[in-house]
Amino acid sequence: MNSLASKPAALSLLAAALLSAGAAAAADPVHTDAATAQKLEQQIEQMAQQLEAMKAELQQLKAQNEALAAQQRQQAAQVQQQAVQAQQQAAQVEQAVAQVQAQPQRGGISPDLSLWGYGEIYYTHPVHVPALTQADLARAVFGIGYRFDDRTVFNSEFEVEHAVSSASDKGEFEVEQFYVDHQLASWAAVRGGLFLMPFGLLNEHHEPTSYFGVQRNFVETLVIPSTWREGGFAFHGDTEAGIGWDFGLTTGVNLANWDPNPENPLYRTALDLENSGAAPLQATHQELSLANAQHLSQYVSLSYKGIPGLLAGAAVFTGNAATPTSPPHLPDQRVTLWEAHARWTPGAADLSAVYARGGITNSAAYNLANAGGSNPMPSKFWGYYLQGAYTVWRHHGYRLAPFVRWERYDMGAGYAGIAPGFGPVPMGLAADGQPWPQPHDRVWTYGTNFYLNPHVVVKADYQSFQTNSDFTRFDFGLGLNF
Amino acid sequence: MGTMTGDFGRAARRRVPALVLCLAAGCSGGGGNGSGGLAHGLSPAALLGEKIFSDTALSVSGRQSCASCHVAQFAFVADPTAAGPDRGAPVPLGGPGMDLPGFRNTPSLTYLSYAPDFYFDADGNPNGGFFRDGRAASLAEQAALPFVTAFEMANTDAAAVVGRLRGRPYLQDFVSLYGAAVLDDPDTALRRIGAALAAFESESAVFRPFSSKFDGWRNGQAQLSAQELRGLALFNDPAKGNCAACHPSNSADGVTPPLFTDFSYDNLGVPRNAAIPANDDARAPAYTPTDSADGVHAYYDLGICGPFRADGGLNTAGICGQFKVPSLRNVALTAPYFHNGRFATLQEAIGFYVRRDTNPEQWYPVAADGSVTKFDDLPAAYGGQFVVKAGVVGSDAGYLGNVNTGEIPYDRHIGDQPALTPAEIDDVVAFLCTLTDGYDPANPSALRLPAQCQAAGAVSGPFAN
Repeated sequence: MNSLASKPAALSLLAAALLSAGAAAAADPVHTDAATAQKLEQQIEQMAQQLEAMKAELQQLKAQNEALAAQQRQQAAQVQQQAVQAQQQAAQVEQAVAQVQAQPQRGGISPDLSLWGYGEIYYTHPVHVPALTQADLARAVFGIGYRFDDRTVFNSEFEVEHAVSSASDKGEFEVEQFYVDHQLASWAAVRGGLFLMPFGLLNEHHEPTSYFGVQRNFVETLVIPSTWREGGFAFHGDTEAGIGWDFGLTTGVNLANWDPNPENPLYRTALDLENSGAAPLQATHQELSLANAQHLSQYVSLSYKGIPGLLAGAAVFTGNAATPTSPPHLPDQRVTLWEAHARWTPGAADLSAVYARGGITNSAAYNLANAGGSNPMPSKFWGYYLQGAYTVWRHHGYRLAPFVRWERYDMGAGYAGIAPGFGPVPMGLAADGQPWPQPHDRVWTYGTNFYLNPHVVVKADYQSFQTNSDFTRFDFGLGLNF
Repeated sequence: MGTMTGDFGRAARRRVPALVLCLAAGCSGGGGNGSGGLAHGLSPAALLGEKIFSDTALSVSGRQSCASCHVAQFAFVADPTAAGPDRGAPVPLGGPGMDLPGFRNTPSLTYLSYAPDFYFDADGNPNGGFFRDGRAASLAEQAALPFVTAFEMANTDAAAVVGRLRGRPYLQDFVSLYGAAVLDDPDTALRRIGAALAAFESESAVFRPFSSKFDGWRNGQAQLSAQELRGLALFNDPAKGNCAACHPSNSADGVTPPLFTDFSYDNLGVPRNAAIPANDDARAPAYTPTDSADGVHAYYDLGICGPFRADGGLNTAGICGQFKVPSLRNVALTAPYFHNGRFATLQEAIGFYVRRDTNPEQWYPVAADGSVTKFDDLPAAYGGQFVVKAGVVGSDAGYLGNVNTGEIPYDRHIGDQPALTPAEIDDVVAFLCTLTDGYDPANPSALRLPAQCQAAGAVSGPFAN
């Protein structure tokens, strides 16, 4: 390469010398004649042509040289990749060998089987009513999945709520998901069984590492029930343009589960509120537990993920409900819920918003039959929140992300059939001497998620309630997901 | 057949399937009507029970049957207008000479068959059962006992009852159903009498007509007046009357119309009723049990823990003084009210509920110094004889006895406002009057409501005098 590189410089010097000599001769009028001048011009012309030829040859050589270098780099990369692959294969073989060695003599876990889990523990301290401070292993969930083939998978989740599940305890053991999903094409799949409803930001991603705040937000607990699942089947998929679609036919709501007149308030703290099942769809969704399937409901959900960092979506659910049987001859009642949501994660920021609204038709006759009851059936309910979080510190897998959330909810935005002179909430005091809680509120939440790693999060927050001010609380929590 | 007695309490809940089975099987046990099947919708046992129900010849006096104290026209309580020495009395007379007073106000038999057999729930609270203290586990067991109660039909024992049964025209019906041999086993024969009566009370629609204006309203065939609807709302509102907490106005199972009782027990601290002879220590009948040495009274009616319940295991102090929550259906017809018939009208009874604690001087004995002895029909050991000062705020603080002072509307204290105003009490009475059976949506004015409904301003129809 060095000889080639020096060649153009040498030619240039030679040409310069010849040109200088010619010019000097031409400058002497005594010795100059036309023939000499012409000869010199020809020589110069020839030398110029030779110089151009040498330049072209040099360009060709340079191009060849670059192509060769690129080829060498590519070959080197391939060699390196092959080496990595060989290492990975070796590691896989080692892992497989280790797995085989670790397996018991009989049976064994299939590579098609997957296990996962998540859970969370709360400490919640109502600052104005410290006597109602509680700590709770809110949920421990274990998932089992199985891949039958490249197109067909089974997923299930089993949940213990409130640590102890027995006849005399408040805890529950429940099946949260149990479905088979079959891929029909790269853009479409069909799902059947008990599955999560694709509503809002939280319902399908309800692991504690996925949301900000110790407890789930109120909009996606009291308006959109949490964790909301129905039995049925659905078609879903994603297009190349980033549009997700999902629609299905499922079990619906059983309004016979409504309690029109509890003697005492169903909740006295924010934690009670979340756990009491007082909210319209919380109280009446059936979780595929001997569900009344006289009427089926429909839903459709669309989302857009085409721009990195942006998620936007909306969904609607509607269907005739199973109506209460007392009083008799109640009219058909339809339950509808719709929502819109968006999340934007530019850089270290995480901004999200959800709006949800629902309704129950023809509730007047039921409410009138239970005139004066403490818990009439609402005809409208809604809520929304705006939330901003920012990762302020990240180091060796640790991550600190404070957040703030503003939300409003109203579980009883409208009622029909309330007896004249009475309200939807008892106007007197309850037996504990306190006013009855209102079914609506405005809540500020300030807090932080601190991730030890992407799978383990410690959380703390402070929630300020503007209407039910006794609900104002400090929370501390631990969550994990694997 | 040996299990029939014990099963009859549950028979009500199995009524329809039982009838279907009976139809399918032809009920070949034979019946007095000779058809071997159902007549008038009643099984042979129920038909036999119907005859026994109104047969005075099974009593020693020859003048008393079930129907004597349980008159159909008055929702199966005593006829308050009937002539006799016990007219208007809180307890009926009975016994061989029909001159022995009982201890408790006659309960209505309507809708009684829906009560579950007696049991304690998971929290240890009593539920269901029959008699006001639940001492009869089943309706059949209850129905047999008045035959051998000294101050009622007064037979000395089951053999005496069977002796009278042998002379009755329906003996053959009895034998056809239960066999002749049972007559030689008087205790079993008496249980069979109880079973037949329970079948009658369970099967006959007269005991469960569900034909009130309230039922018509629930079925969309009648309209409640504004006052009646207001009364229902006050009845339901847990911050006002809170009546529905023990007397639910909604169906318990989504099928059976509301029964207005949850079959629980409660201690209301109802004032002692001096009109009951047993409550007069100086003139109490000789057969009055003595269950107290507190120096105040020798006899207290403690309901579920005595003195008429024999099972001493129930004498857990916390429930002493509790009585069964009755259905409020037809309550406008069943005066006087409470186990001891202390109150003559619904207005008084509801007034007691809401002003018992705000104005105890209106209900309990007041001494010359202004002190009031609340819960005067309960020994001090169970929270009775609780002395407060009328109108003195704070003098009733710290009560820890058995009487229910935690639930609305009787969670108040002296100086508090009653849960209901007098006008609101009238509204509730007007609503309770809509629970009177016999309402015909096509002819609403045909139902004659008792005078107390008129007094409350109820407008359901013309009023009886």
